[in-house]
Amino acid sequence: MPSAAPLSVVHLIKRYHQRSGGDLEAVSDISLEVAAGECFGLLGPNGSGKTTTIKCISGFYPPSQGQVFVAGYDVHLRPKLARQFLGLCDQEETLDSDFNVFDQLVRHASYFRIPSPVAKERAQALLEQFGLSEKAREPIESLSGGLKRRLQVARALISEPRVLVLDEPTTGLDPDARRTVWEVLAQARSRGVAILLSTHYMEEAQRLCDRAAILHKGRILDVDSPARLIAEHIDREVVEEEVRPGVIWSRAPNLEDVYLKLTGSRLGVDGL
Amino acid sequence: MKLPDAVWGVWSVWRRYFSVFVKSIIYYLVSSFVEPLLYLLAFGVGVGSLIGTLQVGGVRLSYRSFIFSGIIAQTALFQGFFEGAYGAFVRMYYQRIFQSIAITPITLSEVLWGELIWDASKATLAAELVALIGVLTRDFPPVSLLTLLPVCFLSSLLFAGMGLAAAAYSRSIDELSYPQYLLVFPMFLFCGVFYPVEDLPRALQPVAWIFPLTLVNSLVRTLTLGLPFQRGAVAIALVWLVASVGVARRAMTRRLVK
Repeated sequence: MPSAAPLSVVHLIKRYHQRSGGDLEAVSDISLEVAAGECFGLLGPNGSGKTTTIKCISGFYPPSQGQVFVAGYDVHLRPKLARQFLGLCDQEETLDSDFNVFDQLVRHASYFRIPSPVAKERAQALLEQFGLSEKAREPIESLSGGLKRRLQVARALISEPRVLVLDEPTTGLDPDARRTVWEVLAQARSRGVAILLSTHYMEEAQRLCDRAAILHKGRILDVDSPARLIAEHIDREVVEEEVRPGVIWSRAPNLEDVYLKLTGSRLGVDGL
Repeated sequence: MKLPDAVWGVWSVWRRYFSVFVKSIIYYLVSSFVEPLLYLLAFGVGVGSLIGTLQVGGVRLSYRSFIFSGIIAQTALFQGFFEGAYGAFVRMYYQRIFQSIAITPITLSEVLWGELIWDASKATLAAELVALIGVLTRDFPPVSLLTLLPVCFLSSLLFAGMGLAAAAYSRSIDELSYPQYLLVFPMFLFCGVFYPVEDLPRALQPVAWIFPLTLVNSLVRTLTLGLPFQRGAVAIALVWLVASVGVARRAMTRRLVK
């Protein structure tokens, strides 16, 4: 049964056929829900199933089992309807380099059947928000990696989605650009957009996410608010870490400690 | 009027290609039309004046007319195949356009139809331009511009399907050279563009008749020059059409979707 949540993933399992023979289970029975106005983080090392989960959420990969509902519609049974409510920023760069920065956004909006005057208005506003107004008529190739990334996040918002899914949105961004993206995400949240994001940056997750799931080998090891995850898994007030030979830092435990403890193959900080 | 969703999806993708085409119209005109024009000049006027006339299927005609109509089929082949192969490979692999559109309300299936139909449209336009030149030089009757339209479009779709299938199976863009040199160029040289297939050694003729360019050539010459209609050619061509489009769509989907 679909829940009322804008995004709900129900017992999602995804297996790949491997060339070498045999199946690889990239996602093993993941369930999660993201409420309106909530920001949910998918945290996990490379190969933990984050991107596969996101590809299933977007309806690009069919799940082996389980379902994904966007705005109450099964994204695999009714992709055209469900994706009307979904904004997605892939991990890879997928900008359409045959169009300049502005036209890019308008063109993308046309795939959602958004009338051109509305799309143009929104594109202008988004470019302003993302600090890209001056680049509006520039070709994509002229943008730096960070600007491309910003544009791709902006593009995910052009359809005013109810669910926003971002696969490592801030990878490769400088601190300034990262903050711009954070601000825009905060604004989207205040409008009631449900956000799912994957990230490697634990500081970012701690700052943005109401809840975070720690993913490892296709399973959710734990899911809770960052503060509760820290309290539950790190039973000490201060963490001491030798950051350089002879230099010891004392600090409060953070989400990274939890992440490393749960997913790390190496020994945690100071034997946590 | 509101189009059904799936048709609208294909139309939106087609429109994307078309607006890129319009934006770089000069580039596309040069890259699409100069090549067939060069063939027309070199073989039609140059070689044509050397050879004069020839007898094909019981009809006597000038070599220029013969080669002009051959270039129509060749244009459908080259334009359709190369757009489907190299063009689509760039869009799929480097630009990742298929992936970025197929996460919107437009599905991958519609993206691939849009791709194929666009490739075929562009090739049809180029082939029709060749036909128009033939009409202006009075080699073909004007009505052939109309009758050629469905034939050019479906042949272009067939060749675009071959190209897209090649793109789907190629690991790198370099590997597209295999079908280019092993299939497209041999068809260009041995499937009746430059000389009638009946002039090939007897043993090779049935082989040539298997390949789609021979079939398309035969159809085009029926429409432009009044050569005998080969019913079998249409049947085999339709089988090729269904197979190439089917294989292309399936292979590309399997490449992208795990």
